[in-house]
Amino acid sequence: MNTAEAKPAVLELRGLSKSFGPVHAVKSVSLSIYPGEVIGLVGDNGAGKSTLTRMMAGTIRPDTGDIVVAGEKQTFESAQDARRAGVETVFQTLALVPGLDIVENIFLGRELLASGPLGAVTRTMDVAAMRRRVQEGYERFGLGLPDIRTKVAGLSGGQRQVVAIARAVLWGSRIVVLDEPTAALGVKQTELVLSFIEQLRSHNVAVVFISHNMQHVMRVADRVCVLRLGRKVFDGQMSALTGTDLVALMTGAATAVEQVAAAG
Amino acid sequence: MTRQQILTWTQRNGLFFALVLLIAIFSFASSRFLTVPNMTVILLQNAVIGLIVVPGAMLILCGLVDLSVGSIAVLAAVVFGQAMDSGFGLPVSMLLGLGVGMLWGAFNGYLIAILGFSPIIITLGGLAGARGLAEFITQGFTTYGYGPQFALLGNGKLLGVPVPIILFLIVLAIGLHLWYRAPLGRHMIAIGGAKDTAAELGIPVKLVPFWLYVASGLASALGGLIVASQLDGAAVTIGTGMELEVLTAILLGGVSFTGGRGSLFGVFFGLLFVGVLSNGLIQINVSPYVEQVAIGAALCGAAALDMLYQRLERLQVPVEREPNEPVAQGTGGSQ
Repeated sequence: MNTAEAKPAVLELRGLSKSFGPVHAVKSVSLSIYPGEVIGLVGDNGAGKSTLTRMMAGTIRPDTGDIVVAGEKQTFESAQDARRAGVETVFQTLALVPGLDIVENIFLGRELLASGPLGAVTRTMDVAAMRRRVQEGYERFGLGLPDIRTKVAGLSGGQRQVVAIARAVLWGSRIVVLDEPTAALGVKQTELVLSFIEQLRSHNVAVVFISHNMQHVMRVADRVCVLRLGRKVFDGQMSALTGTDLVALMTGAATAVEQVAAAG
Repeated sequence: MTRQQILTWTQRNGLFFALVLLIAIFSFASSRFLTVPNMTVILLQNAVIGLIVVPGAMLILCGLVDLSVGSIAVLAAVVFGQAMDSGFGLPVSMLLGLGVGMLWGAFNGYLIAILGFSPIIITLGGLAGARGLAEFITQGFTTYGYGPQFALLGNGKLLGVPVPIILFLIVLAIGLHLWYRAPLGRHMIAIGGAKDTAAELGIPVKLVPFWLYVASGLASALGGLIVASQLDGAAVTIGTGMELEVLTAILLGGVSFTGGRGSLFGVFFGLLFVGVLSNGLIQINVSPYVEQVAIGAALCGAAALDMLYQRLERLQVPVEREPNEPVAQGTGGSQ
């Protein structure tokens, strides 16, 4: 038990299963996620990573099993439900509008209105407050991003990824699920994203990091959960494993029992 | 200033300076040009188009278009004229005229925004259909003579300013507020630029365009009534070619025809540019045929400049071209 696990889990998946017709995509997977922890969710293609991700995001419903957020059982009917419960998923599509700037994107669809009845009637935005909030976020997380009024169209892939993650965090989400955040990024861009994820850990945010790049997982994850053919085959501290062990687990060349024995 | 800032600045203000330059040239060429009466004439001549341009520009920002504006204008005028002839009285007749415009706008909005029909096809149908309906109702005859009260709408003045200009400025002020100070402006850019993302973030991607079509119908009907008031007759020629004038002002103003990009200030300058150009060419005794050529040339020039800016902008984006990591999927980390 390390210090992170002494706190109560912020997100718990209890025996989640999902089938698509005859295909059992996810078979009774349980997972606890703690605040201030980065958990790597890895697996080969078809291991059930994206099905599990989509269940956490609220876009598909599990056949059986429960999702428990901060001790409360939740049923996600939609992505909005998941977001409202505090689980924010950043998909590879990022959901950013290139023609709007960073502040506009972060507040898109939830703009702050000027206080008082006049603001509500005339729908006048409090532009200054929105800029201030984003600027504060820049300072709090040490975001290496260009000026807050830069259009997203002018940002690199890594910077866009950081904006998308920052939006989730700035909205107070304590659990952030990142779907392949470093896919298709260059070395420098990847570094930008990974160092931001490390920042999140120190701000007590729980991060589920889905990837099939072993180097990236080993770099940021405290704990790793390996899926294979829909089942959880390993769940334990990253430090106990080498890259070779991980690959062996993912491909089924080794079982968790052997790994734990070897590590212990 | 960096090169990027210079680019953005000229792109934002280019049309404004072209307008100032144009005014300077005409003022130099004709002493009657830069006078208060002539400036009022320019505004008055473009007030009706200006009213319709505001919701029209918002539709284009959303990636949609309304080609039926001129035909809705004539239909509203004709319905008003028939109602007056049938003795409904001025207020009811005006409400009927405006109502018919909103109804046609709601029809457009329902088919296009809610059901997803092609905006060009549906409103092109409206362009033919609404005018045809107006001609059918009147059988081609113009009704006229609505009394001095109705004449105030097109010819009246408030504190020395013609009523159509006041109406235009009110609509413009509301439009500017919604575009720049209300969430709607950002939502329209999102709908026009990345509709799926907008929907994912809970923006009403169907209702916003729906109400914009209703607003466009209402503005067109109001425009039709203003022209009917100026003519003191519901002529079936009202609004002919209006859709092209509206589109010219919007596109000259730099709103992207594919949606997601544009400024209402730009559209306002686009409207004034066309107005100043037509007026000025007449002032310096250039043939009215040349006027159309000049507007056409200005539009093509604006499109070419816009393309140039977009190319330059794309070059400016700092794309880091690094090779992807030499690690194949799934085999990484094995030493």
